[in-house]
Amino acid sequence: MVKKIIAIPTFGEGGLQSQINPRFGRCESFTFVNVENNEIKSVNVISNAAAGTMGGAGIQAAQIIGNNDATDIIVGMLGPNAFQALSSINLKIFTVGQQSISVNEAVKLLLKERLTLLNNANVQAHTGMGGGRMGRGVGGRRSMG
Amino acid sequence: MKPSIIAITGGKGGTGKTLIAVNFAILFKNLGKKVLLIDCDVDNPNTYLLLGGKLENQKEVTFFLPEFNTEICTKCGLCAENCMVHAILQVKDQLPIPMLNLCSGCKLCFKICPVNAIEPSSKVVGWTYKTQIRNLHLWVGELKVGEARSVAIVEKLIDNMKMEIETHPDRYDIIILDTAPGAHCDVEKVISTADYVVSITEPTPFGALDLKRIIKLINLLGKTTKVIINRSSLLGNKDLFIKELHDDGIKTLGDIPLDKEIVNSYTIGVPIMDKNTNFNINGKGYLAFLDVFKNLDQWINSSGGVQ
Repeated sequence: MVKKIIAIPTFGEGGLQSQINPRFGRCESFTFVNVENNEIKSVNVISNAAAGTMGGAGIQAAQIIGNNDATDIIVGMLGPNAFQALSSINLKIFTVGQQSISVNEAVKLLLKERLTLLNNANVQAHTGMGGGRMGRGVGGRRSMG
Repeated sequence: MKPSIIAITGGKGGTGKTLIAVNFAILFKNLGKKVLLIDCDVDNPNTYLLLGGKLENQKEVTFFLPEFNTEICTKCGLCAENCMVHAILQVKDQLPIPMLNLCSGCKLCFKICPVNAIEPSSKVVGWTYKTQIRNLHLWVGELKVGEARSVAIVEKLIDNMKMEIETHPDRYDIIILDTAPGAHCDVEKVISTADYVVSITEPTPFGALDLKRIIKLINLLGKTTKVIINRSSLLGNKDLFIKELHDDGIKTLGDIPLDKEIVNSYTIGVPIMDKNTNFNINGKGYLAFLDVFKNLDQWINSSGGVQ
């Protein structure tokens, strides 16, 4: 029996109906989909405690993903720090790119092997930070002042 | 007596900070002062080019990094939990994974590990140089390209300077610090240590805007500044530009007009104010430099050397 736990950064807590969130570290929630033999068995939603932190949200989010035993993750955008963190915990990283689709659709695409395996970050660090409420930009050039 | 420390800054890039820092150093030297010039623009250190010299006595600047001894580590999670910049990733029951490019070098993990599984390691983030050109002592900091922590190099230069003043208070009369452009932490570190802050600008909207930002930073640090308007004849708006500065309560030391000889001196690496050169000592650039320098010297003398 092939078991998978697929993690997906999402908007809200709508389970399979939630839209995939293009931001990883600062998404609202993570939806974990348990799959056995290509069939969805159960869905678990966890709010993202890292969303509002000053810096290192991607690393903390990766920790949440790892602590929940995910085997696969489907993301929109992934920066270099988050990519490095996720890669180091041994899971398969897939991307839907710019598509705005539901968890259900994303999981189906993954199970049909229609998603791209991500081998590198696909955006720069801190892309998902949004305006205004910036962290200190730990990866940036002028970072320690 | 403790040396007077002068920071040359200005916000905008390319206004002539290094040109003016170098020539002021030369002018102080011409007065018989013992001068140390420190190039704190560690991203693009080029003071030595303007002096026509080369960098010598390279020393590595290193930065702490944690190294995990996986045989001793009990996976307690304390280091990952407490890392302020989240540079340690630890998933349950697994060994901590350091994300070294995020590490701020604070050593907290090293200090709090209950079983001493974290050993101090380090990496080279840049270099300092100490050299002597034209009877000037020049210290330079250089960031290794691709490294993020430029301020670590600036801090090293400043620490070295403080140590020098402490151990040899009479070695230098004047220390000139040439800052990077911008109003970020590298510049802040330099301004914080200065007795006098001179801001170089140009009579353009860009110069004025960036000057206002750097003055805000200078004031936040509890310091005042006096401004030099470089390339003052660029747009024919010199008088209005200076009047507007004065109207805003900004003090000036004078202006330096566009001058071919200055450009020439800059490109051949011979400071225009150095003795025994072929520059015209009645040229407008030369005279303007003398005038501005006289005002700086007066400022320092009127405040007793140390502000």
